[in-house]
Amino acid sequence: MKAQNFISTWRHFDFWLLGAVVLLVIFGITMIRSAVAENIELVELNLVQRQAIFAIGGLVLMFIVSAIDYRLWASISRPLYIITVVLLGALTIAGAALFGSARWFDTGVILIQPSEIAKIVLILVLADFFTRNMSKIHNLSFVALSFGFAMLIVVPILLQPNLSTSIVMMVLWFALLWASGLRIRHLLMFIGAGILAPIVAFPFLVDYQQRRILNFLFPDPNARHGDIYNIQQALISIGSGGLLGQGYGQGTQVQLRFLKVRWSDFIFSAMSHEFGFIGVLLVLLVLLFVILRCLRAARLASDTFGALIAYGVATMITFQAMVNIGVNLNLMPATGLTLPFVSYGGSSLLSSLIGIGLVESVVLRHRALDF
Amino acid sequence: MKDLDQYWRYSFVGALLCAAAIGIVLRIMSIQADPQRLKQLEAEIEQVTKVQKTIVPARGQIYDRWGNLLAGNKKVYEIGVELQDVEDPQFIAHAVSMIVPNIKYEYVFSMASLKPSPSAVYATLTRFAPQEAVDKLELLKKQLKEDYVANGKDAPSLRGLVYYPHLERYYPEKALASNILGFVSRDNQGYFGVEERFNELLSGKARTVLVPTDPNRVEEMPEVPNGASLVLTIEREVQLAMEEIIDDAVAETGSASGTLVVMNPKTGEIIAMATTPRIDLNEYWRLEEVFPPGSNIPFNRAVGQAYEPGSVFKPLTMAIALDTGAVTPDTVFVDTGSIEVGGIFIVNWNRGAWGPQDMTGCLQHSLNVCLAWVATQIGPNNFYRGLQAFGLGHLTGVDLAGEVAGRLKAPGDNDWFASDLGTNSFGQGIAVTPVQMAAAISAIANNGVMMAPKIVRSVINDGYQHDIEQRVIGMPIKPETARTLSEMLARSLEKESSDALVPGYRVAGKTGTAEIPIPGQGYTSNQTNASFVGWGPVDDPQFLVYVWLEKPSTSPWGSVVAAPVFRRAVEKLVIYLNLPPDDVRRRLASSN
Repeated sequence: MKAQNFISTWRHFDFWLLGAVVLLVIFGITMIRSAVAENIELVELNLVQRQAIFAIGGLVLMFIVSAIDYRLWASISRPLYIITVVLLGALTIAGAALFGSARWFDTGVILIQPSEIAKIVLILVLADFFTRNMSKIHNLSFVALSFGFAMLIVVPILLQPNLSTSIVMMVLWFALLWASGLRIRHLLMFIGAGILAPIVAFPFLVDYQQRRILNFLFPDPNARHGDIYNIQQALISIGSGGLLGQGYGQGTQVQLRFLKVRWSDFIFSAMSHEFGFIGVLLVLLVLLFVILRCLRAARLASDTFGALIAYGVATMITFQAMVNIGVNLNLMPATGLTLPFVSYGGSSLLSSLIGIGLVESVVLRHRALDF
Repeated sequence: MKDLDQYWRYSFVGALLCAAAIGIVLRIMSIQADPQRLKQLEAEIEQVTKVQKTIVPARGQIYDRWGNLLAGNKKVYEIGVELQDVEDPQFIAHAVSMIVPNIKYEYVFSMASLKPSPSAVYATLTRFAPQEAVDKLELLKKQLKEDYVANGKDAPSLRGLVYYPHLERYYPEKALASNILGFVSRDNQGYFGVEERFNELLSGKARTVLVPTDPNRVEEMPEVPNGASLVLTIEREVQLAMEEIIDDAVAETGSASGTLVVMNPKTGEIIAMATTPRIDLNEYWRLEEVFPPGSNIPFNRAVGQAYEPGSVFKPLTMAIALDTGAVTPDTVFVDTGSIEVGGIFIVNWNRGAWGPQDMTGCLQHSLNVCLAWVATQIGPNNFYRGLQAFGLGHLTGVDLAGEVAGRLKAPGDNDWFASDLGTNSFGQGIAVTPVQMAAAISAIANNGVMMAPKIVRSVINDGYQHDIEQRVIGMPIKPETARTLSEMLARSLEKESSDALVPGYRVAGKTGTAEIPIPGQGYTSNQTNASFVGWGPVDDPQFLVYVWLEKPSTSPWGSVVAAPVFRRAVEKLVIYLNLPPDDVRRRLASSN
C-alpha cells in the first residue's frame, strides 16, 4: 500500500525538468573545465571537482526536498522567517569579512553564501504570506506591509553589501505580489517608483557599485583593469564565436584568459565563444524549458502556496539568467549574478537545485486528474 | 483557490519571458553580425590591454685593447607593488626592508598601503635591488606558499609584490681607468670620458612600443638591438702599472696631482692615461667626495685641464726654428744671462750666464734666454703659425668628453704682447693640456707626422667590428727636422745623464718646470708644474710618455721629480709592450 502510494506520488515527478536541469549542470561543469584549463592556479583550486561535488550534493538535496511535502514549509513559515531574519542580522554583524563583504559564511568545511539560502527562504515565507492574505491583496496598505515583511530579510543582505542578491529578492517579492493579484493601478505606481528608486538610491550605493553603474552608462575608454575591459572582452568573445564557435577548449579568448571570471560571471561569453550561436541557442532553449516547466508546475499546483513557490523559483532562475546574460551582452551593468545551473558557484548551484526540488515537490503533489 | 486571474498573470510572465529570450537571441545576432563593431572593440581592447613601454637596449660594453672587460652590465631588479593585489602591506614592508639593502620600513609601508585607483595601480619601491635580495624574496614567497597550504589563509602574504629585471652598468675594475671611462648614471646617461662621449652609440636606440599587459603575451615584446660595444686602445695592465706609478710619484713628491699619458706616436693610440684622482665608478654617487663641487678638479686632467707646461715646450720652439731654417743644430748662441724681448727681460732658471752654447746645449741646459733668442730668430709669424700647426689652442678630438682647448695667444689677439714671443718660447704664458702636448711632441717622434690621439680602437655593432682608422692631423715639421731634433733631445739627455735614461733603450725627451701664475698677480708663488715628455726607442719610437706633476713639494724641478717617473714608466712599458733592448732589436733585425 505504502509502496503503491509512493509510486503514485513519484509518477508525477517531472523527469523532463530534472533531465533539463542535469543537462545544464553537466554542460556547466564541462564549460568550467574548459574555462580554467591551462591556468595552473585555477586548476589547483579544483573548481571542476568542487562544482561536481556541489552538483551531486545539490541533486541529493533536490530529491530530499522534493520528497518533503511542500506544505510542511507553510506550517513552519513563521519560525522559519524569524530564525532567518535573526541569523542574517547576526551574520551581517559578525560575518567573516571576505572579499570586502560579509557575503560568505565559513562552516568550517565549505564556505556558504547565506544570501543564496535566504532567497529560497524568502520564496517560501512570501508564498505563505501571500497565500494567507490573498483577500487583502487589493489593499495598498497590505502591499506596503508585505514590502516591510520582505525588507527584514533584504536589508541585512543589502548591508553585507550584496546589491545583486537584494535586487533578486525585491524582484521575487514583486513577482509574487504580481502573481497573487496585484492591481494594475498599483503596478503602475510601482513602475513609477521603480524608475525613481535607483535615482534616489544612487548616492547611497557603495563606491564600487556606483562605479559599475557609471561604467555602464558612461564607459571610460581609458580604463585599464576596469569593468569595461571585462565587458568588452565578453563582447569580443561572443562576437568572434560566430555560428558554430571556435570549438570546445579552442577559444582563444577563453584559453588565453582575456576573458575574466570566465568560469562564473562570464561563462555565457565563454560558451558563445567556444560553441557559437547554435550552442548558446541550445543552452538558452534548455534554460527556457526549465523555466517553463517551473511555470507549468505553478499552473498545475494544487494550491496557491504551491503555485507561488513554483512561480517564485521560476522567477528567481529567470531573473538571474536574464541579468547574467544581460551583463554578458552589455545590456546591463556588471553584477555578481551567476547563470543558474551553469556558472561556477557552489552556493548558487545548491540554492537553484533546492528551488527545483521545491518545484518537483509541488508537481509531485498536484491533484492531477488521474485515478 | 486558483482562478483565471492567476492563469493570465502566469501566461503574461511567460510571454514576457519568451520576449526576453527572443531579445537575447537578437542581441547575440546583432553582436555577431557586425564585424565592424567587433574590429572597433578589438581596437579599444588593444588600447586598454597594451601600454606604452620604452624598451631600453642593453648598453654596449667597453673593453680594453685585448678584450678585457672594463665596463659591463649586470642584472638588477626593480621592486614594486601592484596596489590592487596587496593584502598585507605591513608584512611586505617588513620583508622588503629586512631583505633589500638601503630601504626603510616606513617608506615601503607607505607605498604598499596606497589606495589603488585608476591613476595609481603600481608603486615602485626601488629600482636597483641586487639579485641576491630578489632570490631571498623569492625563497620567502615559496615558504609562504607552503605555509599557506599548511595553515590556511591566516599566513602573512607578499601578494602584490613584484620585481622586474633590468640592467645596470658595472665596472669590474672599479677605479681602474675611471678617468677614461666615465660612468653611467641610473637614468642611463653617460657622464665623462668615453661613456659620455659615446653615450648615444653605447646606449643604442631605445624604442617606445605598445606592449600587452597580459603576461601570456609578453613574447610579443620586440627585439631591440643592443648598444654598440667599444674596444679601447688602452691596455689594462699598462694602465694599472701607470696608475700605480703616478700614484706613487704623487705620494713621494707630495704633488697636488699627477698625470701620465702613454701614447704610440706612430698611431696616435693612447695606451694608458693615468690621472689622479680617480673614483670607483660603481659608486659614482661619491663623485662629489673626490671632486668637490666648486673645486674645479677636472674628471680627467689629461684632457680636461690646461696648464702652462714650461720647458717641455722648448722642443716645439726648436722644431719650428730648425724647420724654418732660423737656426741649425750647430748655431751657437752666446748666453749672457738675460735677453730683452718685447720690453721684458728673460733670465735662465738659475739666473746664470751660460756662455756660448750650441742648440743641443740650449736644450740640454734648458736655457730660457737661448730659446727666447731662437724665437726672435723665427719671428712671431712663423713661430705662431708653427705652434698652430702643432695643434695648440685647438681640441685634439681625443675620444673623451670634457676636453678643453687650452689657450694659444697669437699676434692680433687683444692680450698678445710682443713679450709673449719670448715667454711662449719656453712654455710660459701658454696653456695646453697634457694630451695636446703629447700629440704635438709625437710629431717629433714620428718623423714630422702628427697622429690624432685616440682611445677607441674599434666599435662592435651588430656583431661586426669596425676599426677606427688612424688619422693624420698634420705634418707640422719636415721629417729631417724631426729626426735631427730627436737626436738632439736624445743626446742632451745622455749628456746630462738625466734621471730619465733607461738602460738598454735610447730615449729622447725634455724636462719642464713651469712657474704657476696666480690670476691677477703673475708668477709670484714658488709652486711649479713639473713635467717631462719623452719617447723611445729613438730610432723606432714605440711609446711617448708625458708626465705632469702638479705642485710637487719635495723639489720644484721637473728633472728631479718628473724625469724618474718617466724612467719608471718606460721600464714597465718595455716589458708590457714586449720591446727588446735596442741592441737586441738591432741584432734581430740584421739577422733577419
